Amino acid sequence: MNATVLYDSRYEHDACGVGFVVDIRGTASHQTVTDGITVLKNLVHRGAVGGDLTTGDGAGMLVRIPHRFFSRTVRDHGFELGEPGTYGVGFLFMPPDTEEQTVLARMVKEVVESEGGRILGWRDVPVRPDTLGDIARRTMPFMRQVFVQFDGLDGDPLERKLYVVRKVVQRRARELPPERFYVASLSARTVVYKGMFVAPQLEEFYPDLSEQDFESAFALVHARYSTNTFPSWPLAQPFRHIAHNGEINTLRGNINGMAAREGTLRSPLFGDDIVKLFPIVTPGGSDSAAFDNVLELLTMAGRSIAHAMMMMVPEPFGQKFHMSEDKRAFYEYHAAIMEPWDGPAAIAFTDGVSIGAALDRNGLRPARYTITRSGRMVLASETGVLDIPPEDVLEKGLLGPGTMILVDTAAGRVRKNDEIKAQVSRTRLYRRWLQENRIQLSGLFESPHPLPVDRQVLTTAQITFGYTHEDITTTLVPMVETAQEPVGSMGDDEAPAVLSERPQSFTRYFKQLFAQVTNPPIDPYRESLVMSLMSFIGRERNLLEETPEHCRLLKLAHPVLTNDDVDRLLANTAGDFRCAGTSMLFPAADGPEGMEPAVGRLCDTVERLVDDGYAVIVLSDRGCDAAHAPIPALLAVSAVHNHLVRRAKRHLAGLVVCTGAAVNVMDFATLIGYGAGAVNPYLAFETLADLKARGAAFERMKVEEVFEQYITAVKKGLLKVMSKMGISTIRSYRGAQLFEALGLNSAFVEKYFPGTASRIEGVGITEIARETLMRHARAWEDPRPDRILDIGGHHRYRRDSEKHLTTPEAVVALQRAVREGDYTLFKEFSSRIDRQEANLCTLRGLFTFRNVRPPVPLDEVEPEESIVKRFVSSAMSFGSISPEAHETIARAMNRLGAQSNAGEGGEDESRYTPDWSGDTSMSKVKQVASGRFGVTSNYLVHAQELQIKMAQGAKPGEGGQLPGHKVDPLIAKVRHSTPGVMLISPPPHHDIYSIEDLAQLIHDLKCASPGARVSVKLVAEVGVGTVAAGVAKARADMVLISGGDGGTGASPLSSIKYAGIPWEIGLAETQQTLVLNRLRDKIRVQVDGQMRTGRDVVIAALLGAEEFGFGTVSLMSLGCVMMRKCHLNTCPVGVATQDPRLRARFSGKPEHLMNYMRFVAREARELMARLGFRTVDEMVGRADLLDVNRAITHWKAHGLDFSRVFAVPDSGGLARRCMGTPRMDSSALLDTSLIEQAREALEHRRPVRLTTAIRNRNRSVGARLSAEVSRRYGSAGLPPGTLHVKFSGVAGQSFGAFLARGITFELEGDANDYFGKGLSGGSLIVYPQRGSTFKSQNNIIVGNVCLFGATAGEVFIQGMAGERFAVRNSGATAVVEGVGDHGCEYMTGGRVVILGETGVNFAAGMSGGIAYVLDTSQLFDTRCNLEMVDLEPVRDPEDIAFLRTIIRRHAELTGSRHADEILRSWDDVLPAFVKVFPIDYKKALERIREQQRRSSDEMTITEEV
Amino acid sequence: MGKITGFLEHRRAEPGHRPPAERVNDFNDVTVPLSPEEVRVQAARCMDCGVPFCHSLGCPLANYIPDWNDLVYRGRMEEALRCLEATNPLPEVTGRICPALCEMSCTLAINDSPVSIKAIELEIIEHGFARGWVRPIRPVRERGVEVAVIGSGPAGLAAAMRLREHGYAVTVYEKDALPGGILRYGIPNFKLEKHVLDRRIALLRESGITFVCGVRIGEDISVRYLRSQFPAMVIAAGAGTPRDVPVPGRELQGIHFAMEYLGMATEVVCGLLTADRCISAHGKRVLVIGGGDTGADCVGTANRQGAVAVHQYEIMPRPPEWTEPRNPRWPEWPVVLRTSTSHEEGVERDWAVATKQFIGENGRVTAAEFVRVAWERDPATGKMSMRELPETHFRLPVDLVLLATGFVHVEHGRFVTDLQLKLNPAGNIAVDAASMTSVPGVFAAGDAVAGASLVVRALSQGVRAAAGVHAYLNRSSGAATRP
Repeated sequence: MNATVLYDSRYEHDACGVGFVVDIRGTASHQTVTDGITVLKNLVHRGAVGGDLTTGDGAGMLVRIPHRFFSRTVRDHGFELGEPGTYGVGFLFMPPDTEEQTVLARMVKEVVESEGGRILGWRDVPVRPDTLGDIARRTMPFMRQVFVQFDGLDGDPLERKLYVVRKVVQRRARELPPERFYVASLSARTVVYKGMFVAPQLEEFYPDLSEQDFESAFALVHARYSTNTFPSWPLAQPFRHIAHNGEINTLRGNINGMAAREGTLRSPLFGDDIVKLFPIVTPGGSDSAAFDNVLELLTMAGRSIAHAMMMMVPEPFGQKFHMSEDKRAFYEYHAAIMEPWDGPAAIAFTDGVSIGAALDRNGLRPARYTITRSGRMVLASETGVLDIPPEDVLEKGLLGPGTMILVDTAAGRVRKNDEIKAQVSRTRLYRRWLQENRIQLSGLFESPHPLPVDRQVLTTAQITFGYTHEDITTTLVPMVETAQEPVGSMGDDEAPAVLSERPQSFTRYFKQLFAQVTNPPIDPYRESLVMSLMSFIGRERNLLEETPEHCRLLKLAHPVLTNDDVDRLLANTAGDFRCAGTSMLFPAADGPEGMEPAVGRLCDTVERLVDDGYAVIVLSDRGCDAAHAPIPALLAVSAVHNHLVRRAKRHLAGLVVCTGAAVNVMDFATLIGYGAGAVNPYLAFETLADLKARGAAFERMKVEEVFEQYITAVKKGLLKVMSKMGISTIRSYRGAQLFEALGLNSAFVEKYFPGTASRIEGVGITEIARETLMRHARAWEDPRPDRILDIGGHHRYRRDSEKHLTTPEAVVALQRAVREGDYTLFKEFSSRIDRQEANLCTLRGLFTFRNVRPPVPLDEVEPEESIVKRFVSSAMSFGSISPEAHETIARAMNRLGAQSNAGEGGEDESRYTPDWSGDTSMSKVKQVASGRFGVTSNYLVHAQELQIKMAQGAKPGEGGQLPGHKVDPLIAKVRHSTPGVMLISPPPHHDIYSIEDLAQLIHDLKCASPGARVSVKLVAEVGVGTVAAGVAKARADMVLISGGDGGTGASPLSSIKYAGIPWEIGLAETQQTLVLNRLRDKIRVQVDGQMRTGRDVVIAALLGAEEFGFGTVSLMSLGCVMMRKCHLNTCPVGVATQDPRLRARFSGKPEHLMNYMRFVAREARELMARLGFRTVDEMVGRADLLDVNRAITHWKAHGLDFSRVFAVPDSGGLARRCMGTPRMDSSALLDTSLIEQAREALEHRRPVRLTTAIRNRNRSVGARLSAEVSRRYGSAGLPPGTLHVKFSGVAGQSFGAFLARGITFELEGDANDYFGKGLSGGSLIVYPQRGSTFKSQNNIIVGNVCLFGATAGEVFIQGMAGERFAVRNSGATAVVEGVGDHGCEYMTGGRVVILGETGVNFAAGMSGGIAYVLDTSQLFDTRCNLEMVDLEPVRDPEDIAFLRTIIRRHAELTGSRHADEILRSWDDVLPAFVKVFPIDYKKALERIREQQRRSSDEMTITEEV
Repeated sequence: MGKITGFLEHRRAEPGHRPPAERVNDFNDVTVPLSPEEVRVQAARCMDCGVPFCHSLGCPLANYIPDWNDLVYRGRMEEALRCLEATNPLPEVTGRICPALCEMSCTLAINDSPVSIKAIELEIIEHGFARGWVRPIRPVRERGVEVAVIGSGPAGLAAAMRLREHGYAVTVYEKDALPGGILRYGIPNFKLEKHVLDRRIALLRESGITFVCGVRIGEDISVRYLRSQFPAMVIAAGAGTPRDVPVPGRELQGIHFAMEYLGMATEVVCGLLTADRCISAHGKRVLVIGGGDTGADCVGTANRQGAVAVHQYEIMPRPPEWTEPRNPRWPEWPVVLRTSTSHEEGVERDWAVATKQFIGENGRVTAAEFVRVAWERDPATGKMSMRELPETHFRLPVDLVLLATGFVHVEHGRFVTDLQLKLNPAGNIAVDAASMTSVPGVFAAGDAVAGASLVVRALSQGVRAAAGVHAYLNRSSGAATRP
């Protein structure tokens, strides 16, 4: 939108509510349209409003063409329509200017006529602009409908013709000056009404929809929640064929793939018209729009819509899945044709005849349906969106992961997943085609042979590629020993590549993107079954045909090739499948200027090889010598990949890279992410072989094992990098370019890495070449005898090597200053940090201030005591740091009136009470993280701020584990778990898969802790600003932007180094986006990440922060000496350890941290006086006062350009800082009246019984009521049975959230997602509406992610629950009659009884608690994840007694007939019960010990903080 | 990284010493090194700090201490040696006589006891020598460019070695009869046996470095000649001018500078000088003025020569005692009372004593007179000032006085004056960041630049000067064009 700011509309996200109503027999009625509108209105809370509080993010409806209505209404315009299906209706968004309209209308006419049709007439669509919000109205297009006819055409040929017309019209329109032209739909079957609305406005804006003869057999509706509010009418949904809830993460790769395929698209159905369809993906659309474009192409070209959906959103089909061989073959065959469009998605789709919906493989979006006896089906993101009498309900269900449902209105029936897929999978002989054509090179991936290595040659090669001693000891060796990525701690304070004096690996200029809020990351370990590294490489064929030759490709089980594999590949003579090699070297003598032409030559060479018919091209940088240096492999691959995309030839050959530059996981991820199909890290293998050969490592392994372990580590790492972004398959990750560049100039990026964000400019190819040649020269020009590799210094400080912000001198100066309370010594510390001419490590080091304001006297500046209140100690959990350190921090911050953050590990309740001196060690900020450890109603009410941790700087997009040996009794108590048992923090919050889910959690927390502010922690990456805007629209009070370099937690090294960007950019982007969206005055902004000094604070304020967090440095002031060993439990200064011997060494005092905070405030204050500011508020957002320090000369930094970071966009007269946060909308809160009516119970603990009706818009019911209980009675709550509330109807999301002890909720009806979230001791009973006739145990009654993070309480559910039942349950007891996939995942305590079927991956990551499953089919063990649990029959009398008692109670409380039957035939049923219990404490200990022995003494577990 | 929990499992162990009664009878090394097994255990204590203060703040050479500790723990001794050699030209010297600043800044010195880094270093290099892994320098190519090094002390040797590795032809000029400078003549044999030095010098000769001894630059060979022969030179002549004690009676016989005394004693030990021609403490009452390391060396030497009594007086106050293994001033070098092996062998030490005069008979010193002093810090400037305490004068009968009161600066010999080298305020040779003096092509290193200091600092400056010379010659010759 605006190139001078950091905001970029490409990074907008949306998520939403979606649904449809359909008459199964295809009878059109106005009632269906009205029902669609009702559904939309009941999804209103899933949409969002913008900065003006009235403009919606978009809503719309797709219906069958209402023929009666159109026929009647066009008569007024003086023309007639033919029979239904013989004419097309176009819904056009036109510019308001009438002249422009005339030009466009003429163009449309020309196109229609040149295609052989004629225009029947035009109709101006009546609209009511006064119903719109200001922003929407200002940008409102003029709505016109056009009616066209093509003589002799109807049915599919007419649809295809209209498709061609629309594509031509769109392309022609793009050539015309007015830009506000858009075709919402052009079809003889369907028409789309949509716009920038909140849901209810749709009906008001378009009077058409209220006309009684406006009839349709179905209504597909969509309410959009976007992270932005920039007016974009066209991006409202539905599109022509779909409405999408979720997001496509792999979009860039998908679009590039389509662009390349255009070169070979052919279809007899289109003939020469095919070129008129290009570009298939219309530029400027959203991910959903692009999906719509491709789905449309596939269906128009002859595939059924179900077939096309199966291609684009395939189910997982790995060997772990028990599925039909034909279906598996179908998916594998199509994997060779097209990569998946990967990302969380619930997609409702229609071709105008059938209407259906499908969920992606992870099933992360909800889709609930109801089929009625009267022949209708309602499907929506929530249940209860349309009132249906219980006796009319035939079936209530939910779409599971990877499943589809379709209503065929022509046949008048509902087709379920298995029927649809069985039919599609057998349309052709996919299985046979695959067996006969797929290529699997013999010997590929067999055990590699030992490699002979010449030391001298090896060392020279290693130096050429920049290997260091550190790379070997901290990366390669641990990867082999542990078969996973090595772990580090304490963030990344190294200078970014562009600021380093030394030649850097080219990969270091890139940062991984990761999912936060708008889509969930995946757990690659516990949910590995959905992930796949399998891919095909070779020559792809015409997308629109299906022939046996389409799968004549090379199948790779994973993308890491050994040296032998490459030899085999090159020697392969499989006739028509040929493989060619080419070199990535360039003449060193050509100097830095020689690389660019060399890259050009390489591109040409590869293109020629493709033209010659080679199916695989191997790019290699082997053979470096004194005269030849390697082009960085990443540069070469991306250049070639993008060159071939531009030439529409990319799909004609696979790219394999043989490179010495691939060492760590990031190297592989970037190569694949920019287009490589496979990577051979030959030098890594040779290095490992050498280490083995000279006995330097791997004594107990054979060399083949060494290689295999390394490959395993790379594979695991790749899965992790992909999962961070929520991507499941390497096929869609390949070429998806999910990186951002830091320090590369835009000309360079545009040429070689097009589409990659790079916001501060930087170096280009000459500097990159220079770095390469520096290493090459060191290797070849001055070889010295007995030389060793450079020692390194990226992870650990080494003098005269890489620069780090935290120098040893700085640590010493800081500690002395805070202990002695000496501000002069502190200034010595801060000058070491700030004086960056000497040690340029941060972007802000390049900044300087523009002294344009007159200085003010120091005593007029707001006092130190007031500034310090804006400071917060960053989240560090009790568990990762010692109790001593954790409490000292809290005490210090409390004494200052500032805030400390408890981190995610809960907090001991004893800390809520002040000690004898009035000091309190209670953390004012409490985190709500994905593990929900210790998150109870009582925890929540004892907070001034609740912080939802979406990501953390050290490892955004990842979860973690607290190894059992760190879980001592105190930690176990606080986290509600068992001592000694490992605790897992999942990568995603299982109740936040998208932005509207976040809004829901914010709503929950605001209810659960009235008065506490709610904040959301994000990590800086490109697009974080748009996410922050979404957070603001979710009505959070504060958003925290963490630098990607910060973080104290233990994390994989590549995550510490390569995920996230510095806060300077992320904060500026956030500030600018919020200002542009008119949201900045409604939310506070906090920043953290390597903050150290008063200067840092001032710069952060100028860039837009109001509050400032200090993590690492807080620990340093308490004695941390940057050991970076937090993950090993061996902190020698007692900070990050639970070892009592070491905890005794902790020497920090609250005074030390207080001194530090005061010193920073004092320093900031002095700087404020100099800059002429009296208050921090005045400074916020004044980025115009920042400038670049020209005095700093650095050969790489001179190309940096911070003008976009310093931009201050127009705020439209609103403040650029927070002026107050919006109050939450409590109109649908039931709790207000419940509290009123329950006063007797709350105040006097007397029993109270209440009854009330409920519907899906009543959300978070019980949370506020529970807060009233916890506030009065703490975690003890009320006596059992004190308060009983009977609800009837459909409960909204988070029913019974954080329900406190002593409260019972009884629900007659059904409930949506997050039922019983965080249950804190209360009881929940749910059963179907009396009068229902369906079998409860076969029907869904509660939604997804029920009992998430429950800590105590009882739950009885008569019916089935959705996916992820009782995830992270740590204490509740539940009975349910069936669950979806991933039940009891990550559970650590409590008991769950399941009287029916479970989905797959049951008990993944379950480390505690017990589940009892009624396994009548005897297949449960195939659906259970057996990694951490054992299965046993129920034999123990205590178990039997428990089970029988609880089932009896279930029967009594819910009236379940199913339970009755079980009890009646108890002796027969009992043997069918399976007891699922995690391998116990003792076994856990044994295993940890065993693991330690196996991996010598390396601790390898990733820890969570 | 050593062993993860090594520091929790093992206690610090240090090399031992032969019993004083035994060792005082000879000039052989007093230490009993740790066994290789013990060293390996000690290496296991290293924690591989994220910020290793030993390497970065402590060691002037920035030795890769954590890296070689790890390699020693893993038994990879040859790699450890290469890693050690990468930064330290003379580990066999620093492994013996370095005060080990690294250990004082070891993270374990905060609240535990430091890793025995010095002992590990010694084991690495001696193991390497024993296995024949320490090899002569064989540059990959000869540059055909000659460089002169003036002085063969630690700075000179370090510079010579590094230059030779780069392929320069190096000639080292030494004023004394044998190369080694202070290593040979200043450090007593019982701390550094001279065969250790000879072993290295032999290796350097084998490497192609030429040693020209007994030659004073500016006296025996003109500076102009050197300039004409060598495109670059490194002055590493040490800080040869000792600090005097200018009190009445200073001219009396029997009063000597420590260096003169120690040098002669070593020459006798090595058989270069007969005992009768050297200053000897035999049967004498000896006074050592100066409480530093050189003073302690004098004490040890005097005792070995058979002194009847040895006194050591220091003008500064007595430092506090500190017996714990942790460092109270981490990571700095703590000012605490240090008792060396020489002190253990018998000495009477006193502090805060200023020398007033020497008293003699027949031109020979027979006694010295002192006064006790008090030191005060000026709160404004922070400077310490001394005040004599009234009525505290006392006398001590002495036969031999050894002045170990430090050094003033480099000798202002002909090579300084002829080249008109700029001096710094302390009177030493002024150099830039690349170690080059005010005269292009003339570099300087070691005590001649920094004033008297530690061997390890001299080594680091020698290394830096060599890098400066290499860059200078590369630039001026235009040979290798680095991108």
